[in-house]
Amino acid sequence: MSAQNEGLDGALRDAFDWYPVAKKEFRDAIRSKGLWVLSFLFTALFLIPGAQVLFLEENLGRQAQDIGMQYFISSSYLNIVTLLVPIVVIFAGYAAISEERTSGSLKVLLSLPFSRRDVIIGKVIGRSAVVGVPLLVALGLTGAFFAVSQFTFKFDVFAWFTLFTFAFTLVMVAFVVSISGAMSTNLRSLAGAGIVYFYISFGWNSLANAVGDGLADYLGVTGALRWQAVLFVKLLSPTQAYKTLTNSMLGEGDGAAMTARYSMFQQDQESMGTICGDVLNGNPQTVQSMFGNRTVCESAGSSLPLQFSDPAVFVSFFLWIGLAAAISYYTFDRVDL
Amino acid sequence: MPAIELDGVTKRFGDVTALRGVDMTVEDGEVFGFLGPNGAGKTTTIDILLDFVRPTAGSATVLGMDAREDSEAIRERLGVLPDGYDLYDRLTGRQHLEFVAEAKRADLDVAAILDRVGLDLEDAERKTGGYSKGMQQRLALGMALVGEPDLLILDEPSTGLDPNGARLMRQIVREENERGATVFFSSHILGQVESVCDEVAILQNGEIIAEDSVEGLRAATDTGTRLVVSVDPADAETAAAAAREVDTVENATVEGDDLVVTCDSDSKMDVLTAIEDAGVDVHDFETREASLEDLFAAYTEADGERPSAPAGTPGGAESADDAEAAEGGDAR
Repeated sequence: MSAQNEGLDGALRDAFDWYPVAKKEFRDAIRSKGLWVLSFLFTALFLIPGAQVLFLEENLGRQAQDIGMQYFISSSYLNIVTLLVPIVVIFAGYAAISEERTSGSLKVLLSLPFSRRDVIIGKVIGRSAVVGVPLLVALGLTGAFFAVSQFTFKFDVFAWFTLFTFAFTLVMVAFVVSISGAMSTNLRSLAGAGIVYFYISFGWNSLANAVGDGLADYLGVTGALRWQAVLFVKLLSPTQAYKTLTNSMLGEGDGAAMTARYSMFQQDQESMGTICGDVLNGNPQTVQSMFGNRTVCESAGSSLPLQFSDPAVFVSFFLWIGLAAAISYYTFDRVDL
Repeated sequence: MPAIELDGVTKRFGDVTALRGVDMTVEDGEVFGFLGPNGAGKTTTIDILLDFVRPTAGSATVLGMDAREDSEAIRERLGVLPDGYDLYDRLTGRQHLEFVAEAKRADLDVAAILDRVGLDLEDAERKTGGYSKGMQQRLALGMALVGEPDLLILDEPSTGLDPNGARLMRQIVREENERGATVFFSSHILGQVESVCDEVAILQNGEIIAEDSVEGLRAATDTGTRLVVSVDPADAETAAAAAREVDTVENATVEGDDLVVTCDSDSKMDVLTAIEDAGVDVHDFETREASLEDLFAAYTEADGERPSAPAGTPGGAESADDAEAAEGGDAR
């Protein structure tokens, strides 16, 4: 591993100051059996729903075969990823820096020519790979399963799902590592990451709705403006952004993004009408269903407002990475160790 | 160009002051011993050189570059053995060395480094989680040597080493210095630096209380001769009081059955005469030239009973409470 090192390894070293840190992180973690247990767990969870259907239903209809993969992604994989991946990320990353700080190995690391930013970036990339490799193994096997099963395997859909899943993982790792850099002990880091996880996963919708209620009750903001604010806050959550982005991609149509945003709401009929017509530029239709009247949102030809479109939602991921970077800058880069 | 230059460096952690206006110059090519008791602020000083902590006031330059602004460029050319460090338990010794070489973009001869620090090739293939403290210290020293650094900073390098290891460490310091490297190392044990250092600074309570060549410090100790006088235990206090009356006596205390007097070597007879004049029989006496250990102990005593400082060092010892407070700060 000398200066004359050839190939990809050497090229990466030349290009990125953080590369040795990322490699060390990965080398350190790859020796842990937990990584392979994780691969197995992800694979099992991804395969069970599809295998179950194949086992129970001898003859799948054409339509079921056609949209089966999308259905499984939307109804179970999204939940598996948003609930499980952050927990795995927390356990893979909460000690990333706090452990080095308490043990003293950070002194060795920072006596080498790395900036503190290199250390953070290297840790984020390295630990992302630690979670990403089992995820990739699981997704690869899942893709192979769909390719050989009766379900139609749509490569591009699956590739997008994989990409969004990695982006989501990267955001979570960046956040957990930046918290680790800010905390003096592992326990505090774990607690901090846990609180953020619960808030993002379970508390965010309440927060968004509370913003809407507050606007209505105290400032008299009602109608479209209120729901625009609620949607905007909802989309700021990486979990919600990941889900709605993937759902939009799975829908494969012009109105898919609109349907995906619309399905983020569960309000009374009148509000749903406002959300569809005035927030999303759609055409609300009342339909009869077995549970009574229901409002569905159909594309009215005009596109989603830019701030709620897929590219804008994707960009919100980077806001979180920026926030993580800001936390690290003020709690790790600039402070005494 | 000096290898290290500190100019009025002050460091406060909250309301604890760890360093109080430290001025120090380490010339290029020197072996510089940085002495002081635990908690004096040695590690804080080194942390400032490495940009682990930022000074409250004053400035530090290393290899002619600003310790804060150019820290990465500085660390390209440093070899560091930190104090209170830890290795990566799940990586092997070889992987540690490879990591350092990769970080510094340096060539690496694993076998040569291992040989210098006294580790086997077999050891290098094992994870460091199974290493003894001494082996960890040898590996960490080896890591500091990777890439032929221009400046070696070794913080308490003898920690965890047996006498053989300590000897090896001193030999490596000499070899590195002959290669052209400046070596800056800290210790709380004088014996470890005496034999290898050109220049020594003593830090106490965040202040440099002496900076001199080893010869200079030895010369300074010659002025402080210890006279040990045997008298009847019942007369000891009387004799001590009489000795203190002599102008040149710095200190006279009863230690066990003996009276120990610190004075100019020229005034020994005056002291003995004064004791006899006070009506005390002197059974026996002997003189001891102070060793550097004594000087070091005298400098670093926290009770203010310090010999008059050689070569213009600031006076005024700190209280014991302050010393503990400084130690608390140092541990951060």
